[in-house]
Amino acid sequence: MARDHSIQRYRRWYARLLHLYPKLYRERFAEPMEQTFNDLLQDRAKEGRELLVFTLLIFVETLAGILREQTQACFMKSRNIAYIALGTAFILLIPLIAMRFTKEVSWTLFDFVFAGILIFSAGCFFEMARRKAAGNIPYKLGAGMALAAVFLLIWINGAVGLIGSENNPVNLMYAGVIAIAVVGSLIARLRPHGMVRALVATAIAQAMVPVIALLVQPHAVFGEPPGVIGVFALNLFFVVLFAGSALLFRRAHATGSVSRS
Amino acid sequence: MAKSKPPSPLTPAVLHILLALSTRERHGYAIMKQVEEDSHGKVKMGPGTLYGSIGRMIEAGLIRESGKKIDPERNDERRVYYRITGLGQTALAAELQRYREFVAIAQRRWPSPNAIPYGA
Repeated sequence: MARDHSIQRYRRWYARLLHLYPKLYRERFAEPMEQTFNDLLQDRAKEGRELLVFTLLIFVETLAGILREQTQACFMKSRNIAYIALGTAFILLIPLIAMRFTKEVSWTLFDFVFAGILIFSAGCFFEMARRKAAGNIPYKLGAGMALAAVFLLIWINGAVGLIGSENNPVNLMYAGVIAIAVVGSLIARLRPHGMVRALVATAIAQAMVPVIALLVQPHAVFGEPPGVIGVFALNLFFVVLFAGSALLFRRAHATGSVSRS
Repeated sequence: MAKSKPPSPLTPAVLHILLALSTRERHGYAIMKQVEEDSHGKVKMGPGTLYGSIGRMIEAGLIRESGKKIDPERNDERRVYYRITGLGQTALAAELQRYREFVAIAQRRWPSPNAIPYGA
């Protein structure tokens, strides 16, 4: 009985120690680690062996693990952000160099800032999803596809506009599509099951945009390039991307091995 | 990130965990006990080492979580079970083959276990 109380006490101490692990690691492994620690103590108690010194040794061993994981987390975090920043700079160099050789490419400072923020943000969001995925490949693919869809939607809309020109106010409806994706993802807290709903809603919203545009501003859909077939084809492309992403998140949910944060 | 090529050579902890999971899925403590049994008590992993290795092996695509279940041999807590992946099986097979080749070379050079490599 006294040993049971000791085991319970040591388990509580161990649970506190596990709080020192990086958040993602803790959310994934703290519970199984605590159970394993408890199993170790239970088996030692059954064999009538002492517990306190053993507990202290496990604490030291776990502290070494905490130090290793914290060091790695700090290193990975700063390294990956640096890689994303470098990648963004490299991509922006392409139009910068092209401008020196051709007048076809003519970017303003605003274009560079806009593209820089967009590419860097996409990279950071993918990094966040990659961490959340924790080895779940359908989750990573789903996140990548959704990010690519949002990225292209903003890029194409900003550059030429999906319906008519980029100045056509009908295109502002796509901000609503992106808002559904973003708000839905936040409500889902990036969990696969919630992401399925968020992306299905996004795909439906995307499909509704050309229909509403056709009702509200038919001349913008019929009269200007890419024309009615082009507008619907472009929107269908994005619907497929969002729906495909939802299917991948559904698969990720079925495998069930993402971080529970 | 999951990789398509298995890492080689494997660390002793990774090799032992893969070997423990090669026959069936297990939870953390069951892996720990199996590793201890396989190594005749020579390899003892604490939770810090075990779960650190498990985390890296999941990242490398060698193993994956296979869900939460109750272990009827222990208490009624639901435990996370781990399972070897196809890549993990390939890595284990490649590592065991590497060991076999290494042992074959060693046996050709010193057929007797009592032979002293550098003379007495």
